[in-house]
Amino acid sequence: MKHAAIPEVAERVRVTILQGEAKASDDPNVEFSTVLGSCVATCMFDPVARIGGMNHFLLAEPPSYADRTTFDDHYGLFLMELLVNEMFSLGAVKARMKARLYGGANLREGMAAIGSVNAAFARKFLRDEGIEMVHEDMEGRNARRVHFLPASGQVRCRTTVNTAAPTQQPLAPRKAGSGDVTLF
Amino acid sequence: MKQATRILTVDDSPSMRALLRNALTTNGFEVEQAEDGQEALDWLASNEVDVVLTDINMPRLDGFGLIERLRSSARHSNRPILVLSTESSDEKKRRARDAGATGWIVKPFDAEKLTNAVRRVTHSA
Repeated sequence: MKHAAIPEVAERVRVTILQGEAKASDDPNVEFSTVLGSCVATCMFDPVARIGGMNHFLLAEPPSYADRTTFDDHYGLFLMELLVNEMFSLGAVKARMKARLYGGANLREGMAAIGSVNAAFARKFLRDEGIEMVHEDMEGRNARRVHFLPASGQVRCRTTVNTAAPTQQPLAPRKAGSGDVTLF
Repeated sequence: MKQATRILTVDDSPSMRALLRNALTTNGFEVEQAEDGQEALDWLASNEVDVVLTDINMPRLDGFGLIERLRSSARHSNRPILVLSTESSDEKKRRARDAGATGWIVKPFDAEKLTNAVRRVTHSA
């Protein structure tokens, strides 16, 4: 005898967050995911509004002739602000936001510790902005795969083979139109 | 010697305020800072600046509200007000222009373009 089909739960909508992106959602069917090498991803959550957001950034490296201990944090700051603003637009409140940080691995020995620099930037940003960091899984030598349910704040992070992490460009691609001036 | 152009930056993010202070003072501007539109209004009630540079998304009083409030006062009717925002939609820009903004700059800002814009609106180029 043929049984009636069990009603399916709504399809999970999987959204990949690429380097240079920040997205937010309050949809319980949405899952954000990303793969991180030396990049850092922030999973931000407002538990009252049940709104979550994720970004994925890599600080720009200094030009080859410059001191390799200083990095341009302007781009990381932009992506943090973009994340907070995406959450604002859905009704989240900054004072309630809690953050989890992932990534920032130093994949190859002997290379500049770019991952640690990204990780340090992210921690400092949260501290300066007064946003509580409830968890971090950063640095080390392994790439990570992160899944985040923005409407519930649940995160799953696993290490993965380093070749799964996208090849990182030394300079983060800047959003078209950034810095543009319009005088009215 | 000509006095330095004085800018009031309005942004709720301490990280962004630090970045702006550094970029603008390096380029010879005098910088004052407020954390949101309301603090900017209170400060401007008893202080003078040449340019106001404001974010949009802020608690208490946002950038649009700040512009409207400043424009409703004769003292600030001609003061250059530049918006500095991660947003770049035509709808938001139109709203700022209608409220009386002088210009719109998209974040992440370029220090040179920002400096040039400030000089243009203060006619100090």
